[in-house]
Amino acid sequence: MQAVILFGVLLSCPLMAIAKRAPALVRNFRLQSFFLFLATLSLGAGEGRVDLYIIAGLLFLLKVLLIPEILYRITRRIKANENIGLFINAQLSLFFVLGMMYAAWVFSKAMFPFAAVLKTTLLAAAFCVVLSGMFLMIFRISALAQIIGMLVMENGIFLLASTVSGGMPFFVEIAIFFDVFVSVVIMGFFVYQINKLFTHINVNKLSRLKG
Amino acid sequence: MKIIILAVQLLTFLLLSPLISGLISKLKNNLRMRKGQGVLQPYYNLFKLFSKEEVISETASWIYRVTPFVVFASTLTAALLIPLLALTSPLQYLGDFLALIFIFALGRFFLALAALDTSSAFGGMGASREMFISSLAEPVACLAAFVLALQFGSSNISLFSGMHPVLLSSLIAAIALLFVAIAETSRIPIDNQETHLELTMVHEAMVLEYSGKSLALLELSAAVKQMIWFLLIAQIIFPMQAMPFSAGIGMFFWLGWFCLRLIIIAVFVAVLEVSLAKMRLLRVVDYFGFAFLLSVVALVCAIIGV
Amino acid sequence: MDPLSLFFLSVIFLISFPSAVYSFGYLKNEASGKKQALALSLLVLFVAAMVWVVAARNLVVFLVAWEIMSLVSYFLVVFDSTQEKSVQAGTIYIVMTHLGTAFLVIAFLIMSKYAHAFDFASVKAACALMPEKTKNFVFICLFIGFGTKAGLVPLHIWLPFAHPQAPSHISAIMSGVMIKTAIYGIIRFVIMLLGVDSIWWGVWVLVFALISCLVGVVYALMEHDIKRLLAFHSVENIGIILLGVGLAMFFLSLHLYYLAVLSMIAGLYHLVNHAIFKGLLFLCSGSVYKATGTRDMEKLGGLIKNMPVTAACFLLGAMAISALPPLNGFVSEWLTLQAFFLGAGNVGSAGKLFLGVGAGLLALTSGLAAACFVKAFGIIFLAKPRSRQAQNAFEVSFSMKLAQVFLSLLTVVFGVASGVVIKLLAGICAFVLEVDATQMNFSLNNFVLSPQPGNALYLSPPLLALLIVVFGVFAFLAYTFFGNRKVRVFETWGCGYYKLDSRNEYTATAFSKAFRIAFSFFLLPYRKTQKIRESFYHVKSFSYETHTTPVFRKYFYDQILKIVFRSAKFGRRMQPGSIHLYLGYIFLTLLLLLVFMHKF
Repeated sequence: MQAVILFGVLLSCPLMAIAKRAPALVRNFRLQSFFLFLATLSLGAGEGRVDLYIIAGLLFLLKVLLIPEILYRITRRIKANENIGLFINAQLSLFFVLGMMYAAWVFSKAMFPFAAVLKTTLLAAAFCVVLSGMFLMIFRISALAQIIGMLVMENGIFLLASTVSGGMPFFVEIAIFFDVFVSVVIMGFFVYQINKLFTHINVNKLSRLKG
Repeated sequence: MKIIILAVQLLTFLLLSPLISGLISKLKNNLRMRKGQGVLQPYYNLFKLFSKEEVISETASWIYRVTPFVVFASTLTAALLIPLLALTSPLQYLGDFLALIFIFALGRFFLALAALDTSSAFGGMGASREMFISSLAEPVACLAAFVLALQFGSSNISLFSGMHPVLLSSLIAAIALLFVAIAETSRIPIDNQETHLELTMVHEAMVLEYSGKSLALLELSAAVKQMIWFLLIAQIIFPMQAMPFSAGIGMFFWLGWFCLRLIIIAVFVAVLEVSLAKMRLLRVVDYFGFAFLLSVVALVCAIIGV
Repeated sequence: MDPLSLFFLSVIFLISFPSAVYSFGYLKNEASGKKQALALSLLVLFVAAMVWVVAARNLVVFLVAWEIMSLVSYFLVVFDSTQEKSVQAGTIYIVMTHLGTAFLVIAFLIMSKYAHAFDFASVKAACALMPEKTKNFVFICLFIGFGTKAGLVPLHIWLPFAHPQAPSHISAIMSGVMIKTAIYGIIRFVIMLLGVDSIWWGVWVLVFALISCLVGVVYALMEHDIKRLLAFHSVENIGIILLGVGLAMFFLSLHLYYLAVLSMIAGLYHLVNHAIFKGLLFLCSGSVYKATGTRDMEKLGGLIKNMPVTAACFLLGAMAISALPPLNGFVSEWLTLQAFFLGAGNVGSAGKLFLGVGAGLLALTSGLAAACFVKAFGIIFLAKPRSRQAQNAFEVSFSMKLAQVFLSLLTVVFGVASGVVIKLLAGICAFVLEVDATQMNFSLNNFVLSPQPGNALYLSPPLLALLIVVFGVFAFLAYTFFGNRKVRVFETWGCGYYKLDSRNEYTATAFSKAFRIAFSFFLLPYRKTQKIRESFYHVKSFSYETHTTPVFRKYFYDQILKIVFRSAKFGRRMQPGSIHLYLGYIFLTLLLLLVFMHKF
């Protein structure tokens, strides 16, 4: 079970790397979040902790339902072209992400040389998600991709916390969820404003603003 | 006793100093194959000025009026620093060589201000030149005093008033002081007392507006200042004993030697004045540069001990 | 509070109180009520910060107080923020002063590293065990740090900008007191905490002090803005003060304790004196500014008739700073020169040569200073007014006059009562140098100074003053009662020209021309003349402009700035404004950190 969920989380990373349009990206994010929800649920079931159930529920509510919905709405409202603009084409991005997967594996192996394989793999997956979120932020032009990249990184950190230390304290987790939600709303607003002002949301053109 | 010495010293300076000016003037004229004025002419001049009406510029302020008194008072104070009759000056607690330099600076400061006060361009020119020259003369005088202090232990003037060996270092220092004295007494090649041409005059330009009694006071002060400088140099080069307080042949010789050494310096200055031309103002830098170098040489000699 | 702190405390209050009194009159009608209140509160804060600096007994506390002092003085410099010049001056000031503070921080960190504590007592104990090389390094850092604040050449660059731009009572405090805290720093940290044991420290200080003296006074001579002129004189006088301090360090390292105490007395004495007369001169220049609205000497003149009190006060200040007897500046310069003279008898031949030339250069400085103040007083206050503002000037208000008169009386008191002052200072200096000075005799009685009794060396300022007054009165009586008593007031002789007016007068620029040419090798003057002719024979107008090249700025600071800008331009490429690149930096850093973690 765990392995399947892990596979799902990991799979979403290259999927996001090759996505060229905004809706596809959002869909992949939703997929990743869903698998994350499953992972948390299974962890909760395995340890029988109530707070993990609540967290899983929140995760489902926010990251699977609400945030993707908001992002969809933004893409519809700004009516800009749906392409998120690639600095690096899809094939090369795929290679990058695969390379990062391998690097994450090597790294987690080096960090915990004597741990169980499953734990090492979980750690590697978490790292990989963080790195691919970072990758999305750097190599995608649209501001929307940056929001999603940040959310992906957050997912990765969540996974990292739950795998390494069995989850963060309950209240911290709740606070982070709230944080993420608010930041998505704010960033959505900003993206909307940027679009209104410049008729595009290409972040690389923002450099023209400097004196 | 001290009061008497004090009074005699002041009177000597006041009465004798114009004579030196007259002597130099006469000598210069004779050297130029002229008949020249009498030796006593400065006295007549002073007397004449004292009985003339005074004209004061309408732009002048109280600085202009007070300056003759400041100059006169500071010069007389400086005169008390010099041991004239006894080996120690009557007021030896008053100050030393350096104090002398600074007291002269006081008079000069006021004279330059008074020159600016009349709003005449001549005054400004004179003040500027005088301050330029004196500021360059000051390091030379100071370094010469330094050399003397090294030889005699301190810069107290009384220390080199008695009999002492004349070392090479103090001789060179005295020559450097002579350079300063020529500038301070406004003589050729730095200044020219005899001309009233705006291109050349320095001291004369400063006192150009003065007349009557004020001018008399300033001229008298200039003469006293000249005598102070000459005496100072004479004491370094021609040491002499204390005055014997017994009427007789000893006293006579003492007085003779006392006058002779002043005359020697006066003759030397007169010959120098006749044989040199006045320098351009900016050449003064070279003049004092050379004098400073002389003082440094004197210092090196003093360090070696010759 | 030890004697040294008490001494500086009294100097601070001695100048700050008259300045505060002065400020009431000075700011009246000048600024709004709110701004006046701001000025007063800043002034109080400034004085409090300076008090804190000298009272601190801990490196960190000292540094905090030092920084507050710098910041408050920055706000005072830019107080008149409507003028672009003020803001510019403030910027130069704050940059330079922080440069200095950076060096102080380095020195303090090294000192505290050895002491494992920040209080002075343990730092002192630790400094004794410090290795020679570290000690030298700490000394250089301290010297640069405090030298910047003191305005030592070539770190003086901020001083002629910042001091003139502040309101005049603040200039008086800044020039009179604030830069003295740097001297306090040098005495406290170099002499008392670090301990002088290398001869070259003293020589180093002396060389820089001499350069400061000469450069400061030569630049001052070229200046025709009153307050800038005074600011350059601060550079010169800081040099003279440091001559005393440097000589003390020099003699201390040679174990000539008597001379060290004497030199220290000379330095501290000149410090008080400079505080008094520079404060006085700045206040007077403020009055002139208030009365005429200009600081340009070429537009002034004849003020002695409309502003007699200010003129008399300025005259006393000018005489004091020119070291004329019997005022205070004379006594301290005489003492400094005597320290040179007496020291020569006790050092080797190279030392003799060095001290001799040093004494000569100090004398040159004082000669040039006298020339400069003849110019300043003569052009500002004497002759005919050169502009309508100068003609319509009026005497300033009572509170301003009060402050000026108080300080000008102090110049006389500190000159005439020098015997008492020296006895007081001897105790302080003995404490500073940790020498027993009770056996040393600096003053025969309170009227006669004798720096070294065995050498028959004396000076008596009260006697000098008395004699000058007595002879002056004597001359005046002779003048009044003898000879022709007729006096006629008539116009100045103008070579037959009938319309002599202020345009025929000598100007400040003309006055300093001889100096400009004599020091042209350093000043690098250049001039621009322009004739507008109506015909070949008739020149309609003629304009003449002359400037000197600011050598240190052009050949030192501008070069450094150029390098900084060039490297900044290069560094700019790293920051192009692309968010992706910034994210990339973060990413790269993260990766590198991971690799780093993996490796170690």
